Amino acid sequence: MQIDPIFSDAVIFASLLALLSLGLTLTYLTTRVPNFAHASFATIGVYVSLAAIHVWETTPYLAIPVSFLLSGAAALSLYTFILKPLIRKKATQAILMISTLAFDLIIIAIINIAADYLARSYHIVSREFSLRSYDAQVSGMPLIVIAAPVAIAALLLVLHLVLKRTKFGIAMRASTENEDLAGTVGINVRLVYGVAWMLGGGVAGVAGALMSLWFQGDPNLGPLLIPSVFAASIVGGFVSIYGAIAGGILVGLSEVLGTRFLAGELGSWLIAYRPLIPLAFIGVTLMIAPRGLAGVDWGRLLSVLRRGRGRRRGKPAQDVGRPEA
Amino acid sequence: MATGSEFVFFVDLLAIFSVYVIVNLSLNLEFGYAGVPNFGKVLAVGAGAFVAAAVPGRIIASAAGIDGDYIADNLAMVPQINAWLADNTGIGFAVFFATLGMAAAAGAGLGLVTSYPAIRLRGDYLAITLLAFGESIRIIGNNFTPLVGGTLGVGVPDPLSFLPDEMRFPFATLGLVLTAIAVFAYSERLVRSPLGRLLRSVRDNETAAAALGKDTARIRMRAIMVSAALAAIGGALYAFYTGGTIAVAYDRASWTFWPFLMILIGGLANNKGILVGTFIFVAIRKVIIFFKDSFEGLVPFDIVWLDFLLLGAIMLAVLLYRPQGIFPERPTPTVRGAGGMKSTHRRPGARGILDLLFR
Repeated sequence: MQIDPIFSDAVIFASLLALLSLGLTLTYLTTRVPNFAHASFATIGVYVSLAAIHVWETTPYLAIPVSFLLSGAAALSLYTFILKPLIRKKATQAILMISTLAFDLIIIAIINIAADYLARSYHIVSREFSLRSYDAQVSGMPLIVIAAPVAIAALLLVLHLVLKRTKFGIAMRASTENEDLAGTVGINVRLVYGVAWMLGGGVAGVAGALMSLWFQGDPNLGPLLIPSVFAASIVGGFVSIYGAIAGGILVGLSEVLGTRFLAGELGSWLIAYRPLIPLAFIGVTLMIAPRGLAGVDWGRLLSVLRRGRGRRRGKPAQDVGRPEA
Repeated sequence: MATGSEFVFFVDLLAIFSVYVIVNLSLNLEFGYAGVPNFGKVLAVGAGAFVAAAVPGRIIASAAGIDGDYIADNLAMVPQINAWLADNTGIGFAVFFATLGMAAAAGAGLGLVTSYPAIRLRGDYLAITLLAFGESIRIIGNNFTPLVGGTLGVGVPDPLSFLPDEMRFPFATLGLVLTAIAVFAYSERLVRSPLGRLLRSVRDNETAAAALGKDTARIRMRAIMVSAALAAIGGALYAFYTGGTIAVAYDRASWTFWPFLMILIGGLANNKGILVGTFIFVAIRKVIIFFKDSFEGLVPFDIVWLDFLLLGAIMLAVLLYRPQGIFPERPTPTVRGAGGMKSTHRRPGARGILDLLFR
């Protein structure tokens, strides 16, 4: 079975953005700091993948748990050693954001050092490389095309169960709703936040390890991805993990398929303007629905639409706009 | 002496210092005084550089009757343009100043665009939007070849072509230093003016300022536009100085993050602090690059990344242990030289060596 590579591109890119904006939203929920280093956590995963293939000579899918741990540790140290002390010192939000930019730079430097080291010691291409040929094939399709969406579904299910069914999940939702109150009833808010950062960073690492099997890897991936990741999170509303997934899929599909469609209609010069798509998403979302997909009152919207057609129905809609952890 | 390597090193240091002073003062106006966290500073700087790369060469080529596609034949055309400019110095300078004007206009225009979200959004959402704006300019410049030659870059005509080679960089540097001094004088005047006080009042308590009848949206918009125009002039001057523009050079680290680092080291909302912060940063970087070759064999990677590591760590250390920078913000006297207010706000014993140097 042959499928047009553009659809693989779209599926994998959308999955990547969904995972990245899921992690970003998880960390934003706790400290209310947009982490500008988030996309670079994915780059860590890409390089773990490269090392798994060329240095340890195993299947790239083994890189997934390693990336989770490494990126998670990076995110945890950003929270523990930088954000937590700064918050204690009552730093402004701008200062907190600048500290994540500084952390991003440090990660980019370390990744570049690792890339140089890999290139010089193992004589492999460590910049603008492709690992596509190392992927397994399932009925004529690369495994990653199936693995990426499955990874999202699995992660979403696990997170949903953790947040709704476990004690830790309840503690986490309580901490993000009201830090002080959660602290008074005996929840260790700092610990809960630390775990959330670890999870958020880890998920980004997994996204990186997965995407390395399709897209070109480079130390510069983080800065390239960051506008799309933030667009996806803003479209999702920034407070709901379900919104983040929806936003990631929407922005990811639009970026790949939208550019392709418009380039087909208007000419290939348009491809250069692809970065304007996430910008447009940010702009439109902030103008018409600043709380994102998760903030839209879908029930009421539907009933307004129905009333427009003269068939008003039943109960007032439930408010689905409440931030959900 | 005049051609010694120390002299070249010093001239280059002074030039980079001046460009960064211009950009940092504009960022300080925006972030320090007006409180707009512009994480997309690179947008205005890049716009200035892109104007300098795209416009003057085409104008001069058509005036001088040099044929060819400006981007595809750039390598051949720019030396011809420069040779023509050596005989037509007046036109060269006219185009140069016109370009600075166009860069400033482009910057102000982008400032107007940025002020649209900056008036309506606060804090994190604003920072994200501006950062995304800033990232996109590099990507578009890199992909859209007719603008600045895409991945190959494009040469910028040199209005100083009439000078002999060894005099060109010292003269260009002199121009940069003079511009930086003018921008410094302008910012010092601005922050002492009623507009400067209004900016700080809007930054510190927007509701109070609005209650006193101030149009806070308009004032933020003005600050952003002025700041973007200044940054664009800085970007255009940098493009003329280096004689070329390439889109990848206008990245987040060089023109957004380093300026934030410099103004936070020096002291936010303190123009003298900006000078010191910029000098410290430029000196550290230049020294690292100067000694790069001696380190090269010792480590299995490009030494540039040590520089990133070091500066990122310095930034974090400053944020954690000295968030007000070397020079904290001070109440500014309304009239220059009126000592009364200054002395009342100075704690005895708080005069450091640096204070004495800058009084």
